[in-house]
Amino acid sequence: MEIWLDTALILVVLLGLFMTGSNRLGAIIQIFGLQSVVLGIVPFLMYFSKIEIHIVFVSLVAIVLKGFLMPYFLFWAIRHVSIRREVSPLIGFGTTLFLSGLLIAGSFILSSRLVFPGPAISDFIIPASFSTIMMGFLLLISRAKAITQVVGYLVMENGIFLFALLLLEKTPLLVEMGILLDVFVGALVMGIVVNHISDQFEHTDTSHLTVLRD
Amino acid sequence: MLFVLIVVPFIMAGLVFILPNKRTGILLFIATALFHLSCVISFWKKTPQAQWQNYLSLDVLGLLILSIISALFVTVSFYLIAYLKKEEDRSARLFLICLLVFLSTMTLVTVSRHLGLLWIAVEATTFFSAILINFHRAPQGIEATWKFLLICSVGIALALLGTLFMAVAATNIKSLLLEELLSHASSLDVSWLKLSVIFLLVGYGTKMGLVPMHSWKPDTYGEAPGPVGALMSGALTSCAFLSILRVGQICHQAGQMAFFQSIMLLLGMLSLFVASIFILGQTDFKRMLGYSSIEHMGILALGIGFGGTGFYGSLYHMLNNAFAKGLMFLVAGNLYRQYKTSRAKDIKGVLRSYPWTGVLLLAGFLCVTGFPPFGTFFSELMILNAAIMGKHYWFAALFVLFLAVIFIGISKIILRMALGVPRDKSLDHPQHESIYLIIPPVILGLIVLILGIYMPACVHEALQTASAIFEGQ
Amino acid sequence: MGPTISALMSILLHLSVILVFSPFILGVIGKTKAFFAGRWGPPVVQPYYDILKLLRKGSVYSTMTTWIFRAAPMIAMAAILAAGILMPFAGLKAPIQFWGDVVLFAYLFGLARFFMVLAALDTGSSFEGMGASREMTFSCLSEVALFLNFTVLALISKSLSLSGLIGGDVSLLWHVLGPALTLVVISFFLILLCENSRIPVDDPATHLELTMIHEVMVLDHSGVDFAYILYGNAVKLFILGSFLISIILPFKTQNVFMDTAVYLSGMTGLAVVIGVIESAMARLRLNRVPYLLISAVILAVFAFIITLVRGGF
Repeated sequence: MEIWLDTALILVVLLGLFMTGSNRLGAIIQIFGLQSVVLGIVPFLMYFSKIEIHIVFVSLVAIVLKGFLMPYFLFWAIRHVSIRREVSPLIGFGTTLFLSGLLIAGSFILSSRLVFPGPAISDFIIPASFSTIMMGFLLLISRAKAITQVVGYLVMENGIFLFALLLLEKTPLLVEMGILLDVFVGALVMGIVVNHISDQFEHTDTSHLTVLRD
Repeated sequence: MLFVLIVVPFIMAGLVFILPNKRTGILLFIATALFHLSCVISFWKKTPQAQWQNYLSLDVLGLLILSIISALFVTVSFYLIAYLKKEEDRSARLFLICLLVFLSTMTLVTVSRHLGLLWIAVEATTFFSAILINFHRAPQGIEATWKFLLICSVGIALALLGTLFMAVAATNIKSLLLEELLSHASSLDVSWLKLSVIFLLVGYGTKMGLVPMHSWKPDTYGEAPGPVGALMSGALTSCAFLSILRVGQICHQAGQMAFFQSIMLLLGMLSLFVASIFILGQTDFKRMLGYSSIEHMGILALGIGFGGTGFYGSLYHMLNNAFAKGLMFLVAGNLYRQYKTSRAKDIKGVLRSYPWTGVLLLAGFLCVTGFPPFGTFFSELMILNAAIMGKHYWFAALFVLFLAVIFIGISKIILRMALGVPRDKSLDHPQHESIYLIIPPVILGLIVLILGIYMPACVHEALQTASAIFEGQ
Repeated sequence: MGPTISALMSILLHLSVILVFSPFILGVIGKTKAFFAGRWGPPVVQPYYDILKLLRKGSVYSTMTTWIFRAAPMIAMAAILAAGILMPFAGLKAPIQFWGDVVLFAYLFGLARFFMVLAALDTGSSFEGMGASREMTFSCLSEVALFLNFTVLALISKSLSLSGLIGGDVSLLWHVLGPALTLVVISFFLILLCENSRIPVDDPATHLELTMIHEVMVLDHSGVDFAYILYGNAVKLFILGSFLISIILPFKTQNVFMDTAVYLSGMTGLAVVIGVIESAMARLRLNRVPYLLISAVILAVFAFIITLVRGGF
């Protein structure tokens, strides 16, 4: 089972890598959906021998919310504001890809320094989650389009979700659900704001949001 | 009882949604705020029962902040009578609904005793305040909302990561309930705890407006409507501060207080520095208040960082700052209603045109910059004292220097606005001012004044119990 | 027969295998593309005809060029063939192998490229100079990726000889290091496409376009020289392809014929895959090509990290 878990985790990181290198918003959203679905499968692979209703529930909700509803909503948003491409990112695509490579290496080094108390199911989970979080953050700070920034935030949350899976047996269901719901509401509110931005400014390029500064 | 306090504003929000009238909406809002306040006053007499297997319970820290929230909501609710007069029915009701949910989520922050629940509550406050900022529907409002949402969401995501790290550190405890964490703090894994503390401080610090993640604050405060600014800078930042204090409690029990304090010192000093730099050239009144808020959050962090009497001073300053900022933002709301701008150079001779607002503006200025006999003066003095007692002489000197610079910056803007002759000749004699727009800020000013000259015994006692949480090993 | 003679014989055998089989790959690719385009297409042996035709023709040289221009195709061909000698094929052991020959292997390709670039610059044509500069830009990225992949394989097989890298028990490691090896395969496949100027990096079917890389460099070559270049490219594709196939299909039965059959079907499969990619994809815009190569580098880095973590070093 371990090799499948490894494969899934590496796939998660690679999909994150694709997102940082892609300039098509549609592709980025689709890859995000795929990443979320893979992440939703990860709990089954992690707790293969002792699947509980708790675990099934969390992963199903994650798959439905992040894998399908969220991409659907984001697609609706890009149709509404009719943008397709990330034209002029704040940091170029090559540089972002290169930085992502460094970040992946960095997360492996960082997590090799940290000792996970208790049974570590796979020593890839922590580095994979760290690199996903950092790549999400990179996406968020390096892109000018509001939608890509939302996806960056969601990728960050995906990384955090992956880390949270390690603690699945310790945290109560209530908290997990609250977190998922909050993320969902967050993206929803952001999406609404994106539409407001496009209504007011006739674009969603946040690099033009520069009236407020010192 | 605690559960009721959270649910009632929610139900009221639903009622406001159903009932089609703006007037009934405002009445319901006032009723909710008064109900909330009366409950909180009863909590001062008798601590309520813990609920939901200790997920919800109220300690003295929570009580202090809950009282701030409640008092600010009551004053703002009366202020809204006049403030919403010109608004459309629909948008006014949306505004009230969001305010009520905002009240509910902030109450949840103060009473939650589980780190996960605390996180959910803090995150929820972000979204509802985001909707409130964009009330005027101006392009800049959307820009401010976007920055607020994005930066705070990232911050809050870091806080979630910190919470998860805390859960890893607490592997042996198998719970994130504060009671459990505090009583078994010595068995926390130190390296994960430290990592978690860093993430939690940066994460919740974003919400509070501490420096590395402060940039949303001037934008948001510059664009938010006055009453929302009052609630955000008074109540919401205190909620974020409470989350940080919870981390401090755990660190204290785990014997990592020095680590926690050193980070707080760093963040606090940086906040003061940045605030003092940016406040000097400021041309916008409300943006200046945003930087002033960063400054005061820095002072709170410094108070905790210095320790000793600093704990008391910091909590005391939190009370003072909440009400002083509330006063200032309500005054800013008045000015915005009358001048339709918050650019300092377009506002002149407030004292002549609107004498009450002008006097309040000056009083607020004294509150915010820490003049005697207002409470802010004494709390800042206490923190300075703590710095010197703790032998942080350099920090003390810098603290005084930054405060002086900020004082100059703020006085330059406010005195120019308050004094002088109005540009518009028709404004050269006193204008009518609605009593609802004057009484609420007056009350807030009086609270700061009372906190300065006569500290009520029960508040003093509460502050002492609260600061005792952090003292000693 | 003395040992020298037998060594010579094995080298000759190796070279003839390479020379005989390599244009076949190009033929299969062409056939696949024709199939997807709905045409019958040229026969699979068409590349052999092309090379034979060119070999029979004379060359035309510009008066501007020097000896470098004439020598480059031969040097390139020789270097590529020399690299082939270091490379084991299914049943055939590499005639020459020593510790560290991977470095020589990589730099023999580097030498070939170096002379081709010099020859292109030697013509003095701005058109060819442009192609040369593009070739160098991309190769400096693909070389990094290539060496990273070698490092991963060297870590896994604990050997620095090409025969050790791919001749060892890689098959056993697929169970443990499957993910890492998959990454290496993907990364190496990207390098292979770039090194051999295939779509999506470069389009070998077009001539005289401003966007081309490799083809534009060899515009001035003709006759025998051009035959060497075409042949050299075919050999390069064959060698790199068989490197890839030996990682993907590391099966070793004791039966030489079985091994050869597996290997040959693998190579044909690879050619079909390349053909499918060329039919299904468009060439990338020139400024997007570096992202593809950076991806190859990052995949290799990732594989390296995974090997370090999982391999127990």
